[in-house]
Amino acid sequence: MNEIILKAENVCKSFGITKAVCDVSMSFVKGEIHGLIGENGSGKSTFVSMLCGIHSIDSGRFVLNGEELHVRNQVQANDKGVSIIVQEMGTLSGLTVADNIFLGREDKFVRFGIKNTAAMNREAAMLLEKYGFGDINAAAMIDNYNFEDRKLIEIVKATHFGPRIVVVDETTTALSQKGREELYKHMRRIRDEGNTVIFISHNLTEIIEYTDSVSVLRDGKYIDTVKSSEVSEDELKRLMVGREIANKYYRTDYGQPVEGETVLSVRNVSVPGQITDISFELHKGEILGFGGLSECGMHEVGKAIFGASFDRAGTVALANGTKIDSIPCAIKHSIAYASKDRDNESLVLFDSIRDNIVLPSINDLAEKNILKKKKLDKFANEYAKMISVKMTGVDQFVSNLSGGNKQKVVLARWIGKNSDIIVLDSPTRGIDVKVKADIYSLMSELKEKGKSIIMISEEIQELLGMCDRIIIMKNGVISGELARDERLNEEDLIVKMV
Amino acid sequence: MTEKTKQTEQNGSLSKVKKVLSAPRFLDLLPLIGLVIIVAVFAVMTDMEIVTAKSINLILSQVFVLMIASTGVFLVMTIGGLDFSQGSILGISSIVISSLSFYSIPLAMVAGILAGALIGAFNGFFHVKFKIPSFIVTICTMYLFRGLCAYMTTNAPVAAVTNITSLNLTWLKVVFTVGVLVIVYCIFTYTKLGASLKAIGAGETAARFSGVRTNLTKFLVFVAAGAITGFAAFLNVIKVGSITATAGNQLETMILIALVLGGMPISGGAKVRFSNIIIGTLVYCVLNNGLVMLGLDTAIQQLIKGTVFLFVVTLTIDKKSLHIIK
Repeated sequence: MNEIILKAENVCKSFGITKAVCDVSMSFVKGEIHGLIGENGSGKSTFVSMLCGIHSIDSGRFVLNGEELHVRNQVQANDKGVSIIVQEMGTLSGLTVADNIFLGREDKFVRFGIKNTAAMNREAAMLLEKYGFGDINAAAMIDNYNFEDRKLIEIVKATHFGPRIVVVDETTTALSQKGREELYKHMRRIRDEGNTVIFISHNLTEIIEYTDSVSVLRDGKYIDTVKSSEVSEDELKRLMVGREIANKYYRTDYGQPVEGETVLSVRNVSVPGQITDISFELHKGEILGFGGLSECGMHEVGKAIFGASFDRAGTVALANGTKIDSIPCAIKHSIAYASKDRDNESLVLFDSIRDNIVLPSINDLAEKNILKKKKLDKFANEYAKMISVKMTGVDQFVSNLSGGNKQKVVLARWIGKNSDIIVLDSPTRGIDVKVKADIYSLMSELKEKGKSIIMISEEIQELLGMCDRIIIMKNGVISGELARDERLNEEDLIVKMV
Repeated sequence: MTEKTKQTEQNGSLSKVKKVLSAPRFLDLLPLIGLVIIVAVFAVMTDMEIVTAKSINLILSQVFVLMIASTGVFLVMTIGGLDFSQGSILGISSIVISSLSFYSIPLAMVAGILAGALIGAFNGFFHVKFKIPSFIVTICTMYLFRGLCAYMTTNAPVAAVTNITSLNLTWLKVVFTVGVLVIVYCIFTYTKLGASLKAIGAGETAARFSGVRTNLTKFLVFVAAGAITGFAAFLNVIKVGSITATAGNQLETMILIALVLGGMPISGGAKVRFSNIIIGTLVYCVLNNGLVMLGLDTAIQQLIKGTVFLFVVTLTIDKKSLHIIK
């Protein structure tokens, strides 16, 4: 049982001056689900990227089954029996489902230089059926499927050829509960077939529940490997952060419903194909949560409030009756929005931290329409430091920051704008515990100051922990509303979601 | 083992070179260093002829139109677009200016600017409204208005009023050019519009979500680029006095090459510098005249220019942000 299948020996990788992975040596046992955890920027993704040939190795080596592993790309890695399901989209648009599943191994179906598409589709359909995803059509374009289905297709792509090592890199954050269950099922199947799964996740509950052992990385260094059955979440957190973190993670106050003045009322808002007839009110000093499955339309609600939806019907209005119809109008009237799609919608990626922080506030910062660099610098520095963005300076480009730091820049810009209504869509998506805790305490602080927050989230725990009121959505409509209560549990919400 | 250490050492020195090359200060200075080198090389090769007052005057006389027109395209490229219609705009505006110069020269100048702005608006409208990539729209308008130019000059070149060439004074052209540069520089650096341009180039969706009116801004940028080239046409007219079908021919590629030689990232965005315009157009004109002074064949000149352009683009291109060219 304890036969070692894969060993990393003194593996190192630097990007410029940053040491992403530093002298990591560890081993993985045959037939286990091996968790890999660490804060953002601790080197998890870089480590597995080297294993799968996505990044080159600076020094050190991987030994698979007693044989040094030399791969330069993912196809070679697959041939050696190593595959990966990546964090972001891992399927290619413009190809069919079957094309994607057999990407890089089309040779199987080629006779005399001609690809037998029918045979490929047949085999893909068979695989999908075997995996229990029979309702996905192998011959259809992959673009016809949503993010979640595409992730399921990726599971087939990465595992159908019986690899000995399967890496699952933070895939669950993108999946709904149902998709997660599917993923867990196949992880277990792979293990039971005597192969090894390396499972990266920020969700420690999930890690403890589904893995056999867990290894911890911190600042690119290997810290320890522990048995999952003998460890608690708090112990894991301590290993990740390197010190005790305060137990105060979520809000602890209960029992005072927020019934202050209404600051925003949403009336009969619909967006074709997304949401239908949504109405609710937001109060001063309230944290209002939106929960549901990832396709339930809750993400569109955030956009609709911010005036960013196309073809929106219905009204979004402030207490004084001002209607919000466009993004500039929303920003002018003190509404902030942090998108789930951080890299495209929240941040101008190839621009400096300064420019990102000042952009929404640019009208306030101009004196007689003139912008002064000194003033912009001061403004950006003030708020970047207030939120403690880890940076070399405000001139640094946001494209080089880690996920948690990027989110901090997003928050800094809206805190700087001094917005009264803050819409946060999946604010802690893909973010480590430490920054998560920072974001939660920031939200509490904003609430204290009388700001109103709408938090849209796929994490049921954080909705329960942070919100005064939770609206649950299903198929584009509101399916229930729950007030803050200690006795609420995940089940109460899930019942209304599915 | 020794093999390996050697390799890492090599990697080390290589990464050092890369680090120096990618240090922000150095990158900013690179075009300027290029200008100095290119002047020095030609000075040696032409026995100092290129640095005589006569040559400098000649080079300057070619710089004005290019520099002004480049200023407009600089804005377009900042938002991540490209504009190939500049040569045709210069042609049309020159014809408009020449025809109206018989009534009033100031009126002709204004009309030239308006004509350019109109063509720019045409570009902007198709680019924004129908979401056609700007380089495709402007390639179409390049042919469209080049055709119109040819049609209007079918029988004879369009001559301007004869005394207009008396305005062909270096000091006046310097004032005009510096004026355009200063105005655009101020708008680019000190206004919300300038900040919006860079943001659109660096990430349009995020710019929209930050409150930038992206469609309006993009439209205005094309109008501005057209208007600026329309103004450049005035300088063209006072220099040549009469307009033929080939007026402004190839101006668009000259601008593109000049800006890239000046260090402008081809995908625009936050890394553009205003100095790209000035240094780029100077490098281009020195290169152009230097090659002529060397007495090289036109075909060879084109070959050398193409090679230099390809070399510089290869050196400076940022693959990560290329997908945002609009």
